[in-house]
Amino acid sequence: MTTNGMSARRRHRSAAAIRTLLSGLALAAACAAQAGEVRVSVLGRDGAPVAGVAVILEAPAGAEHHSARHGARMDQQNRHFVPELLVIQTGTSVEFPNSDSVSHQVYSFSKPRPFQLPLYKGVLHPPVAFGQPGLVVLGCNIHDEMVGYIMVTDSPYHGTTDETGSVHLTAVPAGLYKVTVWGPRINDGGGTLGTTLSLPADAAQTLTMRLQLPLRRNPSPRPGRADWDAY
Amino acid sequence: MNRQPRAIAALSLLIASPAFGGDRFELTGLIDLRAVYADATPSYLNGGFGRTRFDGNHDGLQLGRLMAAGRWRLTDTLTANLVAETFGDGDRNAVGVSQAYLDWRPFPTQPVRFRARLGAFYPPVSLENRQLGWTSPYTLSTSAVNTWIGEEFRVIGTELEARWLGAAQGYQGDVAAVGGVYGWNDGAGLVIADRGWALTDRPSLLFSGLGRPRASLYYELDHRPGWYGGVSWRHGENLEVRALHYDNRADPGAHNVDGDYGWETRFSGIGVRYEPCERVTLLAQHLQGKTYVGPDAAGPMQFEMRLEAWYGLVSYESGPHRLSLRYDHFMTRQDRGFFDEYANDDAGHALTAAWFERLGGRWELVAEWLRVRSRFARRADVGLAPAVTDTQVQLALRYRFHLEGGGASN
Repeated sequence: MTTNGMSARRRHRSAAAIRTLLSGLALAAACAAQAGEVRVSVLGRDGAPVAGVAVILEAPAGAEHHSARHGARMDQQNRHFVPELLVIQTGTSVEFPNSDSVSHQVYSFSKPRPFQLPLYKGVLHPPVAFGQPGLVVLGCNIHDEMVGYIMVTDSPYHGTTDETGSVHLTAVPAGLYKVTVWGPRINDGGGTLGTTLSLPADAAQTLTMRLQLPLRRNPSPRPGRADWDAY
Repeated sequence: MNRQPRAIAALSLLIASPAFGGDRFELTGLIDLRAVYADATPSYLNGGFGRTRFDGNHDGLQLGRLMAAGRWRLTDTLTANLVAETFGDGDRNAVGVSQAYLDWRPFPTQPVRFRARLGAFYPPVSLENRQLGWTSPYTLSTSAVNTWIGEEFRVIGTELEARWLGAAQGYQGDVAAVGGVYGWNDGAGLVIADRGWALTDRPSLLFSGLGRPRASLYYELDHRPGWYGGVSWRHGENLEVRALHYDNRADPGAHNVDGDYGWETRFSGIGVRYEPCERVTLLAQHLQGKTYVGPDAAGPMQFEMRLEAWYGLVSYESGPHRLSLRYDHFMTRQDRGFFDEYANDDAGHALTAAWFERLGGRWELVAEWLRVRSRFARRADVGLAPAVTDTQVQLALRYRFHLEGGGASN
């Protein structure tokens, strides 16, 4: 009796689990059927790929966003923020390790997230959470030439262009999107380029944005100068 | 008169403040040994009129510099800085302090950043002296302009800087206004009037002399503070322009029983740094000014001297190698005064070539060739021709070390 009762409960639970699993798979399959891929490429005036540029796809207002918040990292190397630009989703926490041999004093007075990290080296301060969308400009209170950017967006569909000037976004649901391209070295449109993109279900789309104006200069970190005094 | 021990004691008290996260204390040291060959007339540092640091009597192995630079973090935004050094020559103090100041940098909460310094530090003139302890990454011997700044000028007072930070508004650069008020600089002008321009890496130490047997180059006679004001503009990392006007407001009629006189010295300086590509740095600075001494205001018994110098430097950097070339041009002219006509007038130019080789980690090798041609009539007093060429070749072996501690991670 007891044994039969146990098995009946087990069977019932197993059935429930299988139903849940099946419905989950069905939902995933449905989503996968609708999800598309978007590749956005940014090319300079000369046709050369432009790396390190933010690409954000924003769905129309009201669309639901899944939230895949991973921790992010903004390093400091050879008196530069690395990467120069980080794109994160609202709510993400960012670590600010200092890999230099000299101390830095990181701050931002940008409205979305003002914060201050007193003079430090290595990993000292806890990660900083960014709860409001917008552009956060980072500085070092010791080395004024150090400037970094964190672009905070509500959209989970974002990235920064790689060495080929491209961002490859997957699992993007079908829909109409506002595409924003922003980079601190872009002169076109004050740094911001925008367009719209209609993504049909189960489609792969490629979008190429070509700049009309030359990029601003981007000095690369120079290890030999890491210990120069700020004067 | 022992102000340095007192200053050190004051700093020691300050560093006993509560702990903050991270390393509160950093010490950077530099050991700089030289092999010198000089075909040069006796250096000013040895009582002559030569323009190089080492002269024909000081060939061979020499001490370039022993330096210890300490930085203590007192609060999140306040640091205390101290640079102690010795040059192994006949200075009044074997080891002295060249800089000792508090640096306050509150976090900006708007696009304007303030910075205040209090203590003893160099006025913000040099574009060459970018390394810790006011050393240059481009050459061993600094230009005539900045050698003079190092020899006769130290702000013993306070400075305030307001810098507009462009990054937050989409501009990759910043603009700053800076102003300083100071005392104990009534002696500035004596060295340049007495000797003319030089090219060395031998700045004066605080409340110390410089070669000649003077008790101190830093004294206050008239209790009138001096001032300076300047602007700087930086565009990205590759362009910087600076201008500064300096006036020590000394009373040229003031003197004391020790034979210290008030030298009223004013100058205006402008400088540009431009880096057309990552490997190339171009520097140019121009400075002109006047110095006056003597109570006979605008009369024949007041000494009035015009000063002018400029340089252009090009530096090429590739990995651990750096090559720099510099041309200096300088002159002084007595416009009025009690010396024989033209006796203290100086006119000349210099060429400097320096090769830096980072040997990895903490070691660095530097070779420098410097040739200074100058005409200075008072050389006749010591049996020399007025026009002289001083040549100095140096090979420097440098070792840097860095210590830190006192930190408690939170």
